[in-house]
Amino acid sequence: MKPPTPPPDETRLPPTPALRAWVMRWKTPIFVCVIIGFVLWAHLASGIAVFRSDVVSEPGWDNFRAHYRVDHFGEDGQFVRAVWNGYNLVFYTHRYASRFTRKVVADQVNSCAGCHTAEDLAYSFVNSDRVDPKTGKRVSFEDRVRWCYANSMDGFVPTIYDPAVRDIRLLARAVAHHLQLGEGDLKGEATP
Amino acid sequence: MTASTWKFLKIALLLVVLGSLYFLATLMQRDRHQIRETPVVLTPNCAEKLARHGLVADKHYQSPYVFQQTGQRVKTRGYTDEDIRAIQRGCNIIDDTQGEMAREPGRERWYATRFIRGNQVSCDHCHQGVGDKQDAAGNRLKGSLGLGASWVMADMYDRFTGLLLPFELRQMQCYINSSNGYKPNIADDVVRDVTAYTRFLSAALGLKIGNNYVEQGVDEIPASDTPKQGDDYVRGEALYKAKCASCHGPQGLGLVVDGRVIAPAVAGPNAWNKQSRNYFYYVSTILPGFICRNMPLGQENTLTNQECRDIGFFISNLPRPAGDLQGPLVALQQQVLMRVMPALMRLMESHRQDGAGSAVAPADRVPVAGR
Repeated sequence: MKPPTPPPDETRLPPTPALRAWVMRWKTPIFVCVIIGFVLWAHLASGIAVFRSDVVSEPGWDNFRAHYRVDHFGEDGQFVRAVWNGYNLVFYTHRYASRFTRKVVADQVNSCAGCHTAEDLAYSFVNSDRVDPKTGKRVSFEDRVRWCYANSMDGFVPTIYDPAVRDIRLLARAVAHHLQLGEGDLKGEATP
Repeated sequence: MTASTWKFLKIALLLVVLGSLYFLATLMQRDRHQIRETPVVLTPNCAEKLARHGLVADKHYQSPYVFQQTGQRVKTRGYTDEDIRAIQRGCNIIDDTQGEMAREPGRERWYATRFIRGNQVSCDHCHQGVGDKQDAAGNRLKGSLGLGASWVMADMYDRFTGLLLPFELRQMQCYINSSNGYKPNIADDVVRDVTAYTRFLSAALGLKIGNNYVEQGVDEIPASDTPKQGDDYVRGEALYKAKCASCHGPQGLGLVVDGRVIAPAVAGPNAWNKQSRNYFYYVSTILPGFICRNMPLGQENTLTNQECRDIGFFISNLPRPAGDLQGPLVALQQQVLMRVMPALMRLMESHRQDGAGSAVAPADRVPVAGR
C-alpha cells in the first residue's frame, strides 16, 4: 500500500522557524558584514596591539624623535615606525621584548637603556662586524644584541631576523645618521 | 633475530648516521677555519684597490682617499689581520666570483658558485671597479652601483620588495635574481666577507651612514626623461648590433675566451633572470640607467636616454631564465626559447645574408667587396 503523498505546499517549504529561513536567505551579506565589522573593531576599537599598524608612543619618544631628527626619514614611513619600535625596545625592553628577557618592571635594570645610550648603540653599529679578540670570531651588531638579550637581560636569543633585533639596528642607524657617523668612527675622535 | 636485537640495531644505526653527520660538520667547520686563517692571494684589481685605500693592520685606519679629497686626516677604527683577510676575500669575491683567477677556485671564493647558475656571472660585471668605480681624478661616478654607498643606505625601505632591506638580504637578491641562482644563508662567509669589504669601502671613501651619494644604485631613466618616442625593439636591435654585439655577442650570450669571461651574457641561460631588477618588464628604468652610465666600457655616457631604453628593451626581449615567481610554464617556455632561438636566429641571419647577396646584381657585388 502506497503512503499518501503530502499536499504540494508542504513539500515546497520545510517546517523550519522563520529566523532560520531569514538567515539562510541573507547568509552571504551577514558574513560579509561580520568580517567588515571585525576588521573595523580590530583596527579602531579593540586597542589590541597586534591589530594595530602604528606603534605605541611611550614617554620620551617625542623628545627622542625631535632630538635625533627622526622625521628626516619621513613622519610615518616604515623606517620611522621601525625606529619607533626600536626606541620602545631599547627603553622599555621588559615590556616590548618580554619574550627575550626575564627582567620585569621591578628589576633595577630592565632595559637596554640601563647600560647603553642611543649614541652608544650608534657607535657600536659603525664599529661592528669586526673580529672579537675574546672569541676569535667576527661579531656583527645583531650578534651583540642577541648576546645582550641572552646574558645582560638574562633571557633568550631571538633570531637574527626578529624585529626585536632589526629595529634596534635601525634605531642605531637613524642615530648614526643624525651624528653623521661613518664606518669605524670612534667616540671622542673628531669627524670631518 | 629477536625484536630487542632489531631495536638495538636500529638505534645503533641511527647513532652512526647522526655521528657521521656531526663528524662531517666538524670537518667542514675545520676547513672553513683553515680558509679564514690562510693568507689571501689577491686578484690584480683587488691588490691595486686595497693598496690605494691603504689597508694595513693597525690600531687606527686613516683613509688616503679622504685625505686627498678633504685634506683632513681622520682616524677611524683600525683593522686586525683577521679583519683584513675577510676584506681581501670579500674583494676577491666581488672581482672574481667564479674563481677564474684562483688556484683553488672553490675554497678561495667560499664556493660562491654553488649559489649561481651558469658560469659567467661575477659581481664586478654590475658593480664595476670592484664596487668602487672612479674616474682618473678619483671622482666617484654617478649611477655606478658603488658598494660603499649601498652599505650606508642599507636598511631603508625598498620599493620593489616592500621591505626595510638589510644589506645581507640585498646580496641574497643578487644571488637569486641577477645570478639566477640560490639564496645563501645570512651568516654564510660568502655574504659576511662581501659585507666586510663593502664596509671597508665606505670607511675608505669617508661615507656617512644614511646619506645618499651619486654612486649609490643606478641613475634610473624613466620614459619621461626621453623624447617619448616609445621603447622600440627595432631601433634597439640596430643599436645593440652597432654598440654592444662586438663584446656581448650577436645574441647576447656573452664572450668567453680560454675559459675567461671577457663580456658577460645579457641573455640566455647565463644571464640574469626575469625577476631581476635588470629585467625591463619588471623595472623599466634600471637597465637603461645602467647602460647609459656604465656602457660601453670606456665610452660611458655617450648614449642618449632614448638609445639606452631602446637597447634595454631589445635585450629584455631576448630569452632568459624565468624567476622564482613566474611559475613552471614560463620557466618551460623560456627554456625552450633559450634552446631554439639561437639556432633559429643563426638560420635567419644566414638567410638574410644570402638574400641580401642574391638581391644585389652581380655587377654591383664586386665593387661592394672592393670598397
